[in-house]
Order: sequence, then structure tokens, then C-alpha cells
Amino acid sequence: MNPIRKQRLYALIAILIGSLLATWLVVSALSENMNLFYSPTEIKQANLDQGTLIRAGGMVKAGSIIKSKDSLDVSFTVTDYQNDLLIKYKGILPDLFAENAGVVVRGNLTPEGDFLAIEVLAKHDENYMPPEVAKLLDSKK
Amino acid sequence: MIPEIGHILLISHLVLSFMGGILPLAAIYSKNDFLSIPTKRLSVFLFFLILVPFLVLIYSFLIDDFSVAYVSQNSNTNLPNYYKLAATWGAHEGSLLLWILAMNGWLIAFMFFNNSKDKDYISTVFSISCQVIFAFSLFTLFTSNPFERILPIPPLSGADLNPSLQDIAFTVHPPLLYFGYSGLMIPFAISVAAMLFSKDTKEWASNSRPWTLMSCSFLTLGIALGSWWAYYELGWGGWWFWDPVENAAFIPWLLSVALFHSLIASESRGVFGKWSILLSIFAFATSLLGTFLVRSGILTSVHAFALDPERGLFILGILAFFIIGSLFIYSIKDFENETTPSYELTSKEFGFLLNNLLLVVLAVSILFGTIFPLIYEAITDGKQISVGAPYFEVILFPFALALGLLQGFALYLSWGTSSSFKFLPRLLIESISIFVLILIILFILFDNLHLTSFATIFLSSWILMGTLQINKNKNLNYWRFLRKRAAVTFAHSGMAILTLGVAVVSSYSLEKEIILAPDDSVEFGNQTILFKNTEDIMGPNYFSKSATMSFSDGSNFYDVLTEKRTYSPSGQLTTEAGIKTEIFQDLYISMGDNLEADIWSFKVLIKPFIRWIWLGALMIAIGSLLGGIKRVRKT
Repeated sequence: MNPIRKQRLYALIAILIGSLLATWLVVSALSENMNLFYSPTEIKQANLDQGTLIRAGGMVKAGSIIKSKDSLDVSFTVTDYQNDLLIKYKGILPDLFAENAGVVVRGNLTPEGDFLAIEVLAKHDENYMPPEVAKLLDSKK
Repeated sequence: MIPEIGHILLISHLVLSFMGGILPLAAIYSKNDFLSIPTKRLSVFLFFLILVPFLVLIYSFLIDDFSVAYVSQNSNTNLPNYYKLAATWGAHEGSLLLWILAMNGWLIAFMFFNNSKDKDYISTVFSISCQVIFAFSLFTLFTSNPFERILPIPPLSGADLNPSLQDIAFTVHPPLLYFGYSGLMIPFAISVAAMLFSKDTKEWASNSRPWTLMSCSFLTLGIALGSWWAYYELGWGGWWFWDPVENAAFIPWLLSVALFHSLIASESRGVFGKWSILLSIFAFATSLLGTFLVRSGILTSVHAFALDPERGLFILGILAFFIIGSLFIYSIKDFENETTPSYELTSKEFGFLLNNLLLVVLAVSILFGTIFPLIYEAITDGKQISVGAPYFEVILFPFALALGLLQGFALYLSWGTSSSFKFLPRLLIESISIFVLILIILFILFDNLHLTSFATIFLSSWILMGTLQINKNKNLNYWRFLRKRAAVTFAHSGMAILTLGVAVVSSYSLEKEIILAPDDSVEFGNQTILFKNTEDIMGPNYFSKSATMSFSDGSNFYDVLTEKRTYSPSGQLTTEAGIKTEIFQDLYISMGDNLEADIWSFKVLIKPFIRWIWLGALMIAIGSLLGGIKRVRKT
């Protein structure tokens, strides 16, 4: 084989192997680490497995935040103005978490139908609304 | 009146950059000297036409001119002067001015320090750059005019600069990042001009390399500063979140690294010419794409710019114009008569090819993960998902591993021919020794060894020894050799240090949320944390509840202050972490909630080797800057 052809062949093989591996990696990583977003109403309707990691969100209901006095347990209700969802969380809430503000949580459903959050998402800006929540509230109002 | 001066000059800048984008090309293609303009002088003139509006905007901030809408939205009378300055580029409109200023800065530098004697070719680079600058100028004036007024009755006081942006790192982070992004305009313009003039690969690669290196250096610094800022300002001790905005900077960074490596091969051997052209185009395109993703608000991100779909469309238009335009030139260009030298499987060229393949595929995979939520929403008709950080970590690991392994011996490979691998046993022995040494040090420091970090730690010793030992076989004075190769030595050892930092911090970190009353203490790692007392502090534009905490390892005591600030007038809360920095670890504490009376919750973290990440990044930045400057001066 002439040298140029040989070198093209090497390059081609490297590119093929590289992109095949990458595609496989991307697909498998994506299927494991993709979190669907649900509104409280969608959670009521969809029959979700308890273990599945999902994201949920909506508006934090005024007066619904209950903080424990002696532990980091906290619970609050998010609403999409049709249905409510009780969120339980253990940990320090982000600074921008507040009543009547949008919030996105990541976690899974409990047997009682509540939501156990492992992460409450913080945003830099008080006026900022996560697009999911903004769209949700737009469509419901 | 003053803001109007800025506005008018900005309009002149628009007009003049338009002429700069058209006239030199017209002069060259019509061979009509009447149309030719002094491009060097024009570049300086353009720079001043954007510098003055920028200064005007700063001035408006400093004198609290709230009749300027942008000022009233992002500043108020209580804001310290220093942050009024930072507020100039703290939001969308002002940051665009800074961006254009940076592009003009690069253009001047290029016009005065390029290493080409071909006047028409340089004028073409100038012209294409002017077109990019014109597009940004147009964008600013039509969708994001920073000089828009609120008249006739201006507000008495402004809103505020987002409190979490009131910070030193934030003051310098955007300018550096914008310098990085905008610098990629030069390699892009060069690659297009090179196609138009059918430049020899070696020649245009040598024109492009210094600018690519310098942009990459600024990008590195900008990204590292952003990471540092997020670490101490957000109060949760993370240093990288795989947020779309971070990815938007990381992707062009990966491509610019790929590009200057590919340019080394192009300049030295005349190979990968077409590839380098494509890479120049896409590195530039991803820097625009990043802007689009961030400013249009189509992705969920912690970075909140004022979001506006119209702006998004406009940037998309700019992006489409330059990508389609340059790819069109690429597609009609006849590359057939170019001969490229051949190379063997274990040659340096092939090493560069692998390097580029890995970097580019990694960049594409990260891009895919970043925009996948959009794709998914489109194909499922509105179902929303997010792609979590684990996706990116799973993707990054094998690529980083392969890149690191390659990096360790890449410097030993020889051009063209098959390389001899006689260096391998020695390199292996040396890197294993360093690896064991690092493990011993870690064991002494933390009484613990984490198996999960072994691969990455070995990788870092492998990269380090591969970088430092390269010269041993050659009959050269070791130090003179290192000096001659200062750029690559700095950058590659920086990569080793960064890798070590990432390896250690991701497996040795400790994290806990605790509840304490004053005078209570708690054991954490090898530290005892004592909650001394709380205090109320009045800042210039905030009120803060602060807690003095004391770290003790048994013999030494160290106090840190952590605060919960409430900023006026916005009422926004921020947490200021208390950090004790040591060489091998950071002790980090941030205030949580007030449970009752004086009882507070806290988040405490021990972050071993976290500083090494930014130290490594700094070395990479210094290395690439050195490499860039050295090649600029070579003319």
C-alpha cells in the first residue's frame, strides 16, 4: 500500500473506533443520567416507580415551609395551581429558596406519594425562574 | 448628554466596522487602489470608537446616572464604587460592549504583530474580523443598547447588581473569559483568508498559532476564575457543576486546545491543513454558540442573563452567517493539488491526530449532553428533562484517561517516522516512583488511601514525568532545555497538577451539615470545629449575620468568619463561606439556617488539594501565553 493510503487508513480506523466508542458511551451515560421533569399534576397522573430519580418543580406555596427545630429536616409544598406536591428534604436550603418563588427539586417519590428531595436547585438571581417552572406556570395560569 | 456621546460613537463604530468589513476585500478583488484603506490605522480608530462608549458607560455607573436604563437595572447609590465598575460588565448589554472591545483589542494586536508580509492577505484577515465585529456591534445597537434612556423622569435609585456578583473574582472573570472567546475570531479570520489566498499550510498555521495559544490562555484563566468564584461564593464548595454556561466555555476551550495542537503539526510538517481550517471555524462557532445558549435562555442554567428570545435569534443568525459562509468557501475551495507528507503509525503526527480526535469527540459529546434537553423537548413535544452531572463525568473519565496516557509519551514521539519506544521502561519506573511517593504523602496527610483515585493519580505522575524527563536522552543542558521548552513544560506540568488536584479532591473530600449553638463544638475529620459567637455587621449595602468559627487540629487554632448577608435594596440573601486555605487542603464552612435563638446549621467541608486545580489551570494559562508571545515576537 502506498504510504499516503496507509496513513489515511490509520486515521480512518482511529476515527471510526473513536466515534463508535463515544457514541456507545454517550448513549449509555445518557440513558442512566437523564432526569425527566414532572409537574405536581403530571406526578398525580403518571404512575411513577418510587425509586426513579426525577425532577419536579413548581411554585413554593406560601406558609407551607416547615423547618424542624432540632434537625435539618424541612418540608414544603410546591404547586402548579392545580395540584400540590409535598417535598421533604434534609439539608440546608439554598439562599434563594423562598415562598412564592419557583423551585426545582431532584429526588424520588416515597410510598406515601410525597417527594423525597436529594437536591434543591439554587439559582443566582432572585428574578430568575427555571424555564421548566416558567413554562409550567404560563400554561396553568 | 454624556450617554448620547457613547451612543453616537457606538453608531460610528458600527458604520466604520461595516466599511472595514467590505472595503479592503473590494479593493483586493477589484484591484482598485482607490478603495483601499489604511487597515492598521483603522483598527486603532475602531478600538477607540468602542473604548470611549465603554468608558462612558463606566462613567454613567460611577455618577449614578439612573436615566440610563442599564445603570438603573444593575446598580444603586449604595453600591461601592469598585462594584459599580464591575457592574459595567455584570449584565448582558455592558458585557457585549466589553466583548466588542476585546475583539478590537485582538485585532489591533494582530495588525501590529502578525508575522506575515503578504499585505492583501492581512487586509483580508482584517476585513473578516471587521465583519465579525460589525455583527456584534449591530447586535448590541439593535437588541441590547446599553445607552437606552429612561426619560423624561429617571428613577431615583437603581435596582442592584446581583449580590453574588459583587465580588473580586467576578470583576476579572468576565473580561478574561471574553478575551478568550473573542480571541478565537483571529484564527477564524486567518483560516478563511488562508483559503481565499490558497496559503501554504505551514505558512498560515504559523500565522494562526500564537493567537490561538493566547486565546486559549485567556479562556483557561477565565474558566478557572469562574470555578474559583463558584467555589467560595455559592457556599456549597463545588468547583465545577457541568452547568450549561460552564460547558459553553469548556467546549471552545477543548477545541482551541485541539486547534493549537493541530497547528503545531500543520506548521512543522504541513499536515492536517484542511482539518486545522475546519477546527478554526468550529472553535470560533462554539464560542458564539456558547453566547447563544447563555443569552437566549433556552437552557436551564444557574447563570441568569436577562433573557430574550429575540436576542437568541439574532445570535443564531450571526452564527449561521459565519459558519455557512466559511464552510461554503471551504466546500468550493480546491484542495486537490496539495500534497501532504506521509507519516507512520507511531509518529508524532499520529499522536497529534489522536489528541485531536479525543478532544473533538469529547467536545462533541459534551455539547450533545448540553443541548440534549432541547432535542428531547423538540422530539417529545414538550417533555422536559435535564442531563445531570454524572453524565458528563462518565463521558469525561475515559477521554481524560486516554488523553493523559497519550500526553505522557507524546513528547517523545518523532516526526514522520516510527518512534523508538526505548524511553518507555524508564518513564514507567519514574512515574511509578512518583505515584508511590504521592500515595505516601496522601497517607501521611489524611491517614487514608482511596482506591478510586489511584488511576487518576497515576495519570498525573505519568504526565508530569513525561513532561519533565523528555530531554534526558539528549545531549543538552537540562535547564537550558527546559527553558527553551518553557511553554510546553509549564502547560503540561500544569495539566499534571490539575489532574492530581481533581483526583484528590474528588475522593478525599469530606462534607457534613451540622447544627451548633454558640460554644458548642463538633469533631470533623481531624478537626474540631467550635462555634464561638454571632455578630451583626452593617456593610455598605448589606446587613449581615455572621458567625465566628474556630478550626483546631489539636495544637493550632484558626478563626474564620462566615456570613449570611441580606443585600439592600433587593433583599437577596447570600452566604459568604469562611475558608481556611492550606497548601494541602481547604477548611470550608458556610452558614445555613437559623433554627432557633442562636442555634444555626452549618455546612462544613474539607477540600484536600482543591487549590491545585486552579494552580494547574494557572500554569496551563501561563504556558500557552508564553508559547503565544514567543511566536509573536519571532517575527
